[in-house]
Amino acid sequence: MPSSHEEMWEKLNLDIDAHAGLLEVLGKFYGDIYMSQQGRLRGMEYLDFVLSEVHGLRIKELQDAKVSGRKVIGTFCVFVPEEIVLAAGGIQIGLCAGAEVGKGEAEKVLPRNTCALIKSFVGFKLARLCPFIESCDLIVGETTCDGKKKAYEIFSDYSPIYVMEIPQMKNFSDRELWRSEILRFKTQVEETTGNKITADNLKEAIHLLNNRRRVLQRLNRLRAAVPVPISGRDALLINQISFYDDPERFTAKIGELCDELEERVKNGTGIAPEGTTRLMLSGCPMAVPNWKLPYIIESSGAVVVGEESCIGTRNTRDLVDESAGTIEGMIDAILDRYMKIDCACFTPNTERQENIVGMARDVGVKGVIHYALSFCQPYTMEAYKVEKALAKAGIPMLAIETDYSMEDVEQLKTRVEAFVEMVR
Amino acid sequence: MIPQQNESVVGIDIGSRSIELVVLDSGGPVRQVKVPTTFDPLGQCRKLMEWTGGMRVVATGYGRKLFAESFRLEKVSAITEIQAYALGTRYLHPEAKIVLDIGGQDTKVISLSDTGKVVKFEMNDRCAAGTGKFLEFMATALQVPLEEFGGFALGSDRRVQISSMCTVFAESEATSLMARGERPENIAMGLHAAIVQRTAAMLRRVGISTPLVFAGGVAHNLCVRQLLEEELRQPVIVPENPDMVGALGAALYGRNLDRSET
Amino acid sequence: MKLEILKHFEDIGERFLLDISELDGTDTKVAGIYCLFAPTELVRAAGAIPVSLCGKREKPIADAEETLPPNLCPLIKSSYGYAVTNTCPFFAESDFLIGETTCDGKKKMYEFLGRIKPLHLMHLPYSTTEPHAISFWRDEILRLGRFLEESTGQKIDRDHLRFQIRIHNRIRKLLERIARFQAAEHAPLSGLTMMTVMESKSFFVYPEKYLDMLGEFIAEMESVAASGFSPFEPDAPRVLLTGCPLGKGSEKVLRIIEESGGAVVCMENCTGVKGLDLLVDEEEKDPFLALARRYLQIPCSCTTPNIGRINLLDRLISQYRIDAVVDLTWHCCHTYNIESRVVGDFVEGREVPFLHVETNYSTSDVEQLRTRIEAFLEMAGCRSNVRFANSRLN
Ligand code: SF4
Ligand code: SF4
Ligand code: SF4
Repeated sequence: MPSSHEEMWEKLNLDIDAHAGLLEVLGKFYGDIYMSQQGRLRGMEYLDFVLSEVHGLRIKELQDAKVSGRKVIGTFCVFVPEEIVLAAGGIQIGLCAGAEVGKGEAEKVLPRNTCALIKSFVGFKLARLCPFIESCDLIVGETTCDGKKKAYEIFSDYSPIYVMEIPQMKNFSDRELWRSEILRFKTQVEETTGNKITADNLKEAIHLLNNRRRVLQRLNRLRAAVPVPISGRDALLINQISFYDDPERFTAKIGELCDELEERVKNGTGIAPEGTTRLMLSGCPMAVPNWKLPYIIESSGAVVVGEESCIGTRNTRDLVDESAGTIEGMIDAILDRYMKIDCACFTPNTERQENIVGMARDVGVKGVIHYALSFCQPYTMEAYKVEKALAKAGIPMLAIETDYSMEDVEQLKTRVEAFVEMVR
Repeated sequence: MIPQQNESVVGIDIGSRSIELVVLDSGGPVRQVKVPTTFDPLGQCRKLMEWTGGMRVVATGYGRKLFAESFRLEKVSAITEIQAYALGTRYLHPEAKIVLDIGGQDTKVISLSDTGKVVKFEMNDRCAAGTGKFLEFMATALQVPLEEFGGFALGSDRRVQISSMCTVFAESEATSLMARGERPENIAMGLHAAIVQRTAAMLRRVGISTPLVFAGGVAHNLCVRQLLEEELRQPVIVPENPDMVGALGAALYGRNLDRSET
Repeated sequence: MKLEILKHFEDIGERFLLDISELDGTDTKVAGIYCLFAPTELVRAAGAIPVSLCGKREKPIADAEETLPPNLCPLIKSSYGYAVTNTCPFFAESDFLIGETTCDGKKKMYEFLGRIKPLHLMHLPYSTTEPHAISFWRDEILRLGRFLEESTGQKIDRDHLRFQIRIHNRIRKLLERIARFQAAEHAPLSGLTMMTVMESKSFFVYPEKYLDMLGEFIAEMESVAASGFSPFEPDAPRVLLTGCPLGKGSEKVLRIIEESGGAVVCMENCTGVKGLDLLVDEEEKDPFLALARRYLQIPCSCTTPNIGRINLLDRLISQYRIDAVVDLTWHCCHTYNIESRVVGDFVEGREVPFLHVETNYSTSDVEQLRTRIEAFLEMAGCRSNVRFANSRLN
């Protein structure tokens, strides 16, 4: 990354040395895991570029946008309705983190047995490593899981945070609770951005974000072809980047990439030799640069053809109905769409099991790898039920619990390989 | 020297503590060797491989990849220990439904279908709790040779409760028990019981069925065997050479490959 | 000193089972509950008898772990273990269960529990101070009411509910008075004994009889207190125990503190005084709203931010003249674990020594805990002497 950004990072009060270290690790990691792949799509060059400039040009863009009066709003969860932010002219950025670097700092204020994702974003804040966090005008938390809910209290010692209450169930009253939370959020966003949300700008925002979801849905359909035209790692990266990039540009670029994919599918070109075992991932989100498990899977004679996760289909499966003309109608539509999210924080959340089984059948996999971050109770508890549901459908499942560290890579390899041998 | 036979295949299981090698010809295993892993596993393998020239080799165990990459022989492949133990067990005890393998570094439970296919497996997570390493560590702490540790424990007159499975905490528990004048045999028994309990929990998660075959190095330990039978209330089958099962399975895999190629 | 009447508290579980067995054949229903958030007034108003099913022993945990992941709080595993193995007589007596979405672990555990017995899950809002919270929680209480009416076949009559509210308020007041005895310079009961007394609140069939028992106990305690008796050494550091709930079977940390010379004069947790100072407004015309308001104030770490706990601790530290605070977290209880930092900052800000302990129900770390706690009390003991000297100087 050109050092011309250094001035900007300094202004954002990043720890310049530690940040340089982070970029180096990220670069090396990316080289090993991504650039070593054979037969990648041309369209991936855009993603390579975005990732290489994720702390550079993209931050510059945000800074420029801020100068022109736009506001940046950071989130940690796919429940925060981006439509609202976009309608008010704001820019929404996902702040979930997938690196271990800030762990030491985080463990000074958080228990060691907190999930890696939480430790990572708290660590990023404390170690002053994340230019996105530092660019935010508003940071939004939510009461999804215990760990996040309470970690925001600690986080708020360092940076103000607005917390949304997410319902835990899906009864009638939960809808009403969620509606009142969306309206409260709308007021907050209007205040932060200084812009009123109108039927027009909301309609436009809904349409734009639906288009982003549509293009990702298209990607998901195409990647499931036989032979597999794109690696799971690349598809995951695309999903990850969708949380950082400008939605309009992203949608256009991924559209082009999908055209290329379509071409491949037509020609029957694949990236993995025939007979490579098709698997699906399901569970906790994998934030940049958490590519550990997909990499292990794809170097064990298998290829990932789908991710049932928040950085995956959980975020793209459902669209907001676009037929409403009034703000109330649109809020209703948003409400409906977000209440469909099948996060394990809900109870009983049986629809997740159905969705996983359905998806495994649709994309045609030999098995499912359930991925949970260590100490994540919602997902580790559901693993048991998901396994039962899949078994009923005759699909084997392997439950993996891990974190961001590399010390268990060998162990994981043995497990994954044995699973591949078993389902082949 | 083994006569060079076309059908001969070699299975090698490179574990954290020891390396086992099995040579198989059409009649069955004709040679079984076991050497310690040491700090130079590849050197040890090289020695073992000297007289296997030309034969197909299948590696398993945590060193399988290293092996396959270092010995770029024409006919080298690698499979996981899970697969290897499943195949080896099936050969020795075709009726087996579940395999328990407690090795140096990890514990595995493998459930087999009627045709001997792996249908489900579990492995301990990253720490050494409940594995051979744990026993080894504790034997050293109690100053008993590892081979005698099981017999030593069977000399207990009561079973003290050791609740920690973490090697470090268990040692401090053992030390504080000793400080209170507890007989070392009883402490050893407590440690064995703790392992068995943990193992039984893992077995239950996979689903216990009979017959159960207990393999891996720790299967030599009489006390673990006995306690396991008590805990599960069912007999436990231990193969004659329990630590050879992985290497045998690897060799069997190689033989199948040979057959499918010709 | 051993009070005769303590026997009644020690035997309260058996008493409960006996009283219940006498009701066999009637259509009285027993409601198993797991948490302070369950509005017991409402349960009684529907003619059912609430009983606590919170697991406090290590024994059933191994069986629970066949289904539940290892990284889970022992209370949840123990509770579930009792249920799957059907080894808890109170569980066996329960006709149905009431759960709440307090923490992730319990919330998801109820999904499994619901397969064993009919379970009604209450949805607890986490941001209790936001405007939506009260009406939402009131709706949840009404929803529970409908479930209870269906399960017991008995209509909830508002007047009867008001009557139950008054009774429960009286129980809370008496328990609070009992706890307060310990605020005296010579605390008349050990923390362990007080725990036994306090635990009785979840195990009675007849509220009136229970009130009588508490009244009698207070009368006896008054004379003990007047005699100046205390089981503790005069210079024992006065400890406040806060954090996750504990009880008979999981009193490990409490026991170690007292064996190490500390005097646990107050427990700010669900087994202790938490919630005793929160009464339901008897004047409020809408009893459901009154219930909703009271229950939402319970300062549990599951809510965010949990200012109520800090306020309560602040008051207790002064009231009980606390020299040291021990914060107990059950292994993998994220909410108490993370909140411990907030609590620690506050307690240390008041210049009271603070110790955070994370453990589970097993005995494996007893010796280690003992060392830590002894060292902590040594430290706290010195400090309290210093403070005492200072206060005399002032
Ligand atoms: S897994 Fe749940 S809590 Fe995490 S981002 Fe997704 S919806 Fe939010
Ligand atoms: S992975 Fe689990 S524990 Fe971690 S933030 Fe997401 S829901 Fe919470
Ligand atoms: S102690 Fe913590 S984790 Fe356990 S049930 Fe209570 S709130 Fe949940």
